[in-house]
Amino acid sequence: MRRDLRGALLLLLTAAVQSSSMSAPGKPVLLSCRSPEKETFTCWWEPGSDGGLPTTHHLYYERERLEGTYECPDYLSAGRNSCFFDKNHTSIWVDYYLTVMASNALGNATSDPFKMDVMEIVKPDAPENVTLQVEEREASPCLNVRWMPPSNTDTKSGWVTIKYELRVNKDNSNNWKEYTSGTQTHFSLYSVSPGGVYTVQVRCLLDHGSWSEWSNTTFVKISNYLQNERPLSMLISILSAILFIMAGLILIAKRKSVKQWVLPPVPGPKIRGITSQLLQSGGSDDVGNALIIKQSFPPIYFVWEDQMEDYLIVTENEDWLSSISQKRKKSLIPACFHFDSEIHSKKLCGFSETCGKRNVKHVDYSRVKEVKGDNVLFLEKEKVQSSGYMDFQRQEGIPEDYSRVKEVESDNLVVLQKQNAADMSCKDEGNHYTDCALHKPRKPVCTELSDSGYVDTIPAPPLM
Amino acid sequence: MEKVLFAVLTLVYLEISTSVVSAPICSYGQAGCHVPSLADLFERVIQQSSRMHSVSSDLHSEFEQYFFPSQNLIGKRKCHTYDILTPEDKENAQRLGREQLTEVIVRLLQAWEHVQDQNQDFNLYSSNKALEISDILHELKDGVTIITEKMKLLGVLSNTVGYNSPESLVPSSTFYTQGDLDSMDHHDLLYCFRRDSNKAKNYLRILKCTTLPEPDC
Repeated sequence: MRRDLRGALLLLLTAAVQSSSMSAPGKPVLLSCRSPEKETFTCWWEPGSDGGLPTTHHLYYERERLEGTYECPDYLSAGRNSCFFDKNHTSIWVDYYLTVMASNALGNATSDPFKMDVMEIVKPDAPENVTLQVEEREASPCLNVRWMPPSNTDTKSGWVTIKYELRVNKDNSNNWKEYTSGTQTHFSLYSVSPGGVYTVQVRCLLDHGSWSEWSNTTFVKISNYLQNERPLSMLISILSAILFIMAGLILIAKRKSVKQWVLPPVPGPKIRGITSQLLQSGGSDDVGNALIIKQSFPPIYFVWEDQMEDYLIVTENEDWLSSISQKRKKSLIPACFHFDSEIHSKKLCGFSETCGKRNVKHVDYSRVKEVKGDNVLFLEKEKVQSSGYMDFQRQEGIPEDYSRVKEVESDNLVVLQKQNAADMSCKDEGNHYTDCALHKPRKPVCTELSDSGYVDTIPAPPLM
Repeated sequence: MEKVLFAVLTLVYLEISTSVVSAPICSYGQAGCHVPSLADLFERVIQQSSRMHSVSSDLHSEFEQYFFPSQNLIGKRKCHTYDILTPEDKENAQRLGREQLTEVIVRLLQAWEHVQDQNQDFNLYSSNKALEISDILHELKDGVTIITEKMKLLGVLSNTVGYNSPESLVPSSTFYTQGDLDSMDHHDLLYCFRRDSNKAKNYLRILKCTTLPEPDC
């Protein structure tokens, strides 16, 4: 009896002596629970003050559809202050009511109950084995990212469906770009440029749960291969540059002949007596005189009145036409020529090169002798009664611009042709003399020979 | 008068002739029909169930946000589908077998349809979502029916699985108080619905993966 009393007193004394802060433990707090794969789960708690004494914690739970209170099956696997529920102890779609009790020598403390359903606490682990691969393509490189699902999730049986998300940043900036990958375990990034260091992270989600943490960072540096690794393309570009320069030099050296070939010079008017010097220095009188006097170029004028005795009447004469143009395919031309005036001589020299070579005399070209297709032949005849009447019809409408001499043949044959004829060469035309009878009355005049020495066509005034 | 009649008849005729002709339902593979495969059907049904689950989650979280700010509710609830024995983890679900699993799914859906019919406002506070739920439930029911028929046709499922087996009619009308649901009951209703839609989704996925030998499941 005495001993007991003494023992109790001693205990009290030691207790009093040791510390005044010894007390029952503080109330622990259940923090959270988490299931990484919807098959097991872990819960963590925060202990309160331990009251200065060694305190132990126990987790007790009750479960829907299960009678009784049970204690945590595993305190160790998940670390300190945690409770791990393995597959046998985990049921989905049922409520768990958890409480943690802290106890020490002086008392207990129980946390508030924590209700949870495994369905709500699903948060997977981060994806594993994230690998980056640079794929070098012509235009721009691309980055292939591959990863594995977290090893503890079972996607094969359809128990959970996983969705992935990844984020990329360039050169360790804080600017992350996010992409959704769906259920694929690979992704290709195309917006990458050489010379940058890219960091990639992936995370995943199960069903409608929470996102996992981001995976470990993986980074890769994309080399500046454009500058280093393409000697062939550089060689080709250098060679082509050299060729280009050489071609340019050759062109410059031979620029005169090139210029001749590309832009052939337009021959100037070859009018005897007129030189560029005269044109530049002389006044208009000088030029005019040179034209008139030296060329013996009498003015050609058109007189409507029947002052002139000789005139050219053109009428239809199909016989003539057919005899002339048997071989020619050009048919009757409806326009007509009617000259009322006496055409004075003029010297016409066309644009052909052979023109200067011909011996052009002053001759009196005053009659249209023949029209061969698009060519108008002028024949000189002083006595024009017997010849020079021609009938023809031109099918092309008036006016036609017979203003170019195609050829001067012999003394008395000048071949005129249409202005737009591309054929500048001088052809040999035979001399044809035909007689045409006058069948029909005069038809409107279609041409006028003007002062300039060119034959101009004007619409004929109606004479009828 | 006759003219009016004639006009009316003409209009009626035009109406009939220009109405859209619907494609024949060919669940039995008649000639000229494009019959979706079982995989397609499963895919669609699973999508529907996923949609149902997300809608129910939204409803529940909205309700909690507005009416119950504290997350931890102590009161022990009981869902009207309590009596339907459902597998509560993966192994049990896989062990159950196709017929029983299908049966469970069907019973769950039926029970909720029943509740939905009983309570006009499934959710007093968000009527368009309530309409959405009713649509989804009907579609899911139709989808599962079609799948069971198809599986029976393919010989994958025995003919014992049916929709109107006697035990399936749960007396849910008495479970939740009729008329004005008070907020506690309403909260329970939403919580139970969320849970059961999650169950249905999971079971359908397991059913698909055990029926079809697909690599990606």
